Amino acid sequence: MTELNLVIDGAAAKNIWHYLDDDAPLTDAPSIITLTRLKAEADSLASRTAPLGVILHADGLGKTDQGEDVRELAPYIDQLALVALHFPIYRNGRGYSAARVLRQEFNFAGELRATGDVLYDQWAMMNRCGINAFELADNVSLETFQTALGELSGAYQPAADATRGALWARSGK
Amino acid sequence: MYRYDEFDHQLVADRVSQFRGQVERRVSGALTEDQFKPLRLMNGVYLQLHAYMLRVAIPYGTLRSEQMRMLAHIARKYDRGYSHFTTRQNIQYNWPALDKIPDLLDELATVEMHAIQTSGNCIRNVTSDQYAGAIADEVEDPRIISEIIRQWSTFHPEFTYLPRKFKIAVTGHENDRAAIKLHDIGIVVKQNSAGEIGYEVHVGGGQGRTPFVAKKMTDFVPKEKLLAYLEAVMRVYNMLGRRDNSYKARIKILVHETGQEEMQRLVEAEFAKIDASDMLTVPQEEIDRISAYFAPPAFETLPAESETFTQAQAADADVARFVRANVVAHKQAGYAIVNISLKPIGGVPGDATDTQMDVIADLAENHSLDEVRVTHEQNLVLPHVKLDDVKAVYDALAAHELATANLGLISDQIACPGLDYCNLANARSIPLAQEISERFADLDRQYDIGELKIKISGCINACGHHHVGHIGILGVDKKGTEFYQISLGGAADENAAIGQITGRAFTEEDIVDAIETVVTTYTDLRADGERFIDTYNRLGMAPFKERLYD
Amino acid sequence: MAQHAAKGARFQAVTANRLSDGEVVYWSADNRWVEGFTEAEIADGADAADALLARAMPADFEAHVLEPYLFEVLEDGSFYKPASVRETIRAAGPTVRLDLGKQAGA
Ligand code: HEM
Ligand code: SF4
Repeated sequence: MTELNLVIDGAAAKNIWHYLDDDAPLTDAPSIITLTRLKAEADSLASRTAPLGVILHADGLGKTDQGEDVRELAPYIDQLALVALHFPIYRNGRGYSAARVLRQEFNFAGELRATGDVLYDQWAMMNRCGINAFELADNVSLETFQTALGELSGAYQPAADATRGALWARSGK
Repeated sequence: MYRYDEFDHQLVADRVSQFRGQVERRVSGALTEDQFKPLRLMNGVYLQLHAYMLRVAIPYGTLRSEQMRMLAHIARKYDRGYSHFTTRQNIQYNWPALDKIPDLLDELATVEMHAIQTSGNCIRNVTSDQYAGAIADEVEDPRIISEIIRQWSTFHPEFTYLPRKFKIAVTGHENDRAAIKLHDIGIVVKQNSAGEIGYEVHVGGGQGRTPFVAKKMTDFVPKEKLLAYLEAVMRVYNMLGRRDNSYKARIKILVHETGQEEMQRLVEAEFAKIDASDMLTVPQEEIDRISAYFAPPAFETLPAESETFTQAQAADADVARFVRANVVAHKQAGYAIVNISLKPIGGVPGDATDTQMDVIADLAENHSLDEVRVTHEQNLVLPHVKLDDVKAVYDALAAHELATANLGLISDQIACPGLDYCNLANARSIPLAQEISERFADLDRQYDIGELKIKISGCINACGHHHVGHIGILGVDKKGTEFYQISLGGAADENAAIGQITGRAFTEEDIVDAIETVVTTYTDLRADGERFIDTYNRLGMAPFKERLYD
Repeated sequence: MAQHAAKGARFQAVTANRLSDGEVVYWSADNRWVEGFTEAEIADGADAADALLARAMPADFEAHVLEPYLFEVLEDGSFYKPASVRETIRAAGPTVRLDLGKQAGA
């Protein structure tokens, strides 16, 4: 298990998950597998009771330009306790839409984790899109994380968090 | 006009202090340039050739006089006494120091202005018709929905790291002055047979390296559901838009590669899901609140004719010319729309000095119900001037080189900053605009030529709209020397079209002669009453090509 | 950001924009950033150019400037001048505003 500087729901947390390579044997430890493996081993995974997570890549791993489609997770969503959204570079914002689809279309209630190039100025936006777990760089403190989340005092639009957005809040909706 | 409430004020203030922090982290070395760049861009700060450049948003092109005065003050205090109005209803400062920009932004915020999302791969400043609320036969003031879109798109958490920049424009009139079909999303306000207001939505227009006219996605989205529809378009784009090649990352490429029908299907499917949740249905109370800000200003009841106005034209040929070229009928009896050309003969298109901006602010306050507008053709507008006051306004403008009577004529050119300022340029644009303007300086000749839109870009990014100029000019670089390519037949209005390239490019020495050849070809061949674009559309490229290259 | 080092260029210099205010600066022979092109160190040959760029980019260069790069210069009598229109304009200021930029003070 990798030691990670992990924040879950705004508090420091210990990582219990393993990222598994596609050829690594699947154990009963909480495991994060690729979408490819999830689809390939769907039948055998159906009976798995130990925690299962999947990592979704936003850059298609260099094969295509479009990255993996979050909606391919639909058939498996009830089996998943965690989805890790990989941000290959902070500029690639595909994961923000994936997060909202997971939370608001699939009503996914498990851990939604941001991994990869996840920087200070993106955390608040990610949080609003429903990402609740962040793998931070080692030198980032929890206070820094919380400061970043509080930089903007409100929002105009609803997203996947509780904020209703000023366009609605003003009229009490 | 829209006024900020406490919430709006607080959010802009938060943003300035956030940016102050980001600047400090950059200067202290906590952020690398690669990390800082998207942050500064999201706050309108570019690096140009000589200095930083700050782009300030003028949402839907509407300003109050105090805002114009602040823009003048900033030009004086933080810049070198002038600034540049752009084709996207923004204003650009060419020389601010990075470490002073947070202070500058604090001052801007006092008049409810900001530089938020004027750059970067996010939803940019929403642009609209400069005659909104002043022109007759408008379906509805387009600024109402523009303001709603502005709020929805500001700090949108899902759409701040899009594949590429995203531009939205709105028109409420069948004559499109906002070039909506050349935007990522173009919106036309419509009324259905039941009398309800809704929106026709076009998607996938744009210029740059591969220009496209937008494709219609839907005929009518009800008012309260437009945000749900826009969110659907944006989500499809954010999930499927290409990120492997920045030249293929705009939504126009997605629409082109996916096909109009498939794109429609994807958007409709996404829209159905969002709409079912009802979360983006804007409450009627809020629509009403925002609409109230755009209620007609306090017009006086005046006769339709003004003796003073008629006499002023009869007495002074310059006034008569100004009225003929720059003054447009207003929907309210006794009022006129007065265009201020920022294209003096031989001047820099779109530039205004601090003094000029102050003069315009005063005129707006005293003669235009406090409003000024910015046009995508880099001019300004006093939207609500009493006919009785037109002469006084003209005199004040003329005293400050602001009364050039050339609106829509050959010297009213769009030109991007080009190689005089821009880091990406291949060639200069401004000197060329100046030479063309001087070549055709004679106003009578300009009136004879009639409506003719020349648009000049210094590189293929097309900030100067060359693809949609009746005559477009593109600067290209051949082994370190500037060359200019001509295209003909472009249009940015409701009949939007992309121009066709004439052939090989011209040198700096030959380009103005070549433009003159194009113009005389038109004047020789035009039928009665035909504008340049009509003649081109009738005859096509051949006669122009023949004369240019023989 | 365009790169302007011409392949096969004999003479080159290093330029960048200053972090604090964006001012165009050049790397000088006494190892600092200066505002005037005339003080720029001129490298003769590709190896000298690479070495010059390396000197201009110590580990902490980002604390002072943005995006240093090499550009071609030409011999002009006993002086040098930038080869491209772009670098000529950067070294002087906008050609449409002779009252602004470095040319204004000259
Ligand atoms: C520092 C100066 C500027 C830079 C670096 C810059 C950069 C760019 C780039 C890279 C594009 C191409 C975008 C694409 O195809 O994806 C573009 C397009 C554009 N820019 Fe600029 N620009 C600058 C100044 C301006 C100015 C001064 C204006 C207004 C006069 C302007 C208005 C536009 C417009 C209207 C487009 C076309 C939009 C489209 O492709 O749909 N830009 N700009
Ligand atoms: S068209 Fe090119 S040269 Fe002109 S402003 Fe845009 S990027 Fe610069």
